[in-house]
Amino acid sequence: MPELDDELMERYQKGDENAFTLLVRRHQQPLINFIARFINDKDSAEDLAQETFIRIFKAANRYKSEGAHFKTWMYHIASNLCKNELRNRGRRDRYRVDNVVNTGSDSDGDTEQVDLIASAPANSDFQPEVALERKELRNAIQKAIAELPEQYRLPLVLRDLQGLSYDEISEVLELRSGTTKSRINRARLMLKEKLKPFI
Amino acid sequence: MNCLQAEEHFSAHLEDTLDYQTLQGFEEHIAECEACQHEYARFQESVKAVQELPQIEPSPYFMSTLQQRLATEQRQPRGVKEIAVTGWRRLLDTLRRPKWAFSGMVALILAAAGTYFYQEGPLFNRDSHQVSVAPTSQRQQIVPLPEMFPSAQQPRRLVGDNSQLQQRSVRSTPAQPMHQRYMLKQVSYTNVSTSGGL
Ligand SMILES: [Zn+2]
Repeated sequence: MPELDDELMERYQKGDENAFTLLVRRHQQPLINFIARFINDKDSAEDLAQETFIRIFKAANRYKSEGAHFKTWMYHIASNLCKNELRNRGRRDRYRVDNVVNTGSDSDGDTEQVDLIASAPANSDFQPEVALERKELRNAIQKAIAELPEQYRLPLVLRDLQGLSYDEISEVLELRSGTTKSRINRARLMLKEKLKPFI
Repeated sequence: MNCLQAEEHFSAHLEDTLDYQTLQGFEEHIAECEACQHEYARFQESVKAVQELPQIEPSPYFMSTLQQRLATEQRQPRGVKEIAVTGWRRLLDTLRRPKWAFSGMVALILAAAGTYFYQEGPLFNRDSHQVSVAPTSQRQQIVPLPEMFPSAQQPRRLVGDNSQLQQRSVRSTPAQPMHQRYMLKQVSYTNVSTSGGL
């Protein structure tokens, strides 16, 4: 409901601190999911999500509800922060993070994997073997996403994990609609190839 | 339509956004190409698998940590660098106005002279061979002030360091030139904004 976001921003601009808290509550979960999936690092995702909200909070006076849409504005800020974060990380550091989050190993010590599974929807007829397969598939998917070049990964995550429309993604990434569409199709084709052993 | 062209339309067909003509061409090709049938089926499965990844939830501390960070941001609305820049601009603007230019110059000269004599006392009342250790080491500490200190409180700590250093003395160090001493002492009673350019 974009109208509510605009109203909350307006209220916040007029000094209603509670309006900002409500905005954060509405968007914190999708924002953290987006960042964690995009940069493949759950621990840094919270920090970057907070940084995104701080930027929004600082630029609140410049927010014009008639022009910008809160959601695309938020993803635009977050995308830029993530790109900077990835750029600032050394090659070695990134490799380390990839290993921590993505390896297909099923060691119990890997809390990241456990967390990702824990946030999955509950399954009434639980079968350990099926769960393990599903877990392997999820790890493989996250790894495959992480391996995509940034310019394909970003629109794919916005589309298939955040559920944004093509128009919204074009707004977030400041791309022409045709470019957005072809990048998402290309990203999906690349994923299909990477997931060949599983699907 | 060939296989490569068909592949280009996988997403649009999946999301039902193809125009009539392209749709016809796509479905004709798929109907007669086994390879594309297979690849399109895998494409659909893999998109579905990605979309079904679980959502990552925020930790219970997310909101409270954010509120703490926001409170800190509110307490320090402007960086020291920004204050330094605006401080300088304000000073220069004032001096540019002819009415204030003269009195401004006089004030600066008086401040410089005051600094000089203020420092003369403790330094020159000692044994004439003993001079402050300050010249280069302190200068290096003081010059980068605006970048180094995040808040205006910290220069006061530096003043403490200054006086401690000045009490120490070293034999046969040559007396530093006046502008160096001016620079050192200036920090002790001016704010960050003016010490930036000195
Ligand atoms: Zn074909």
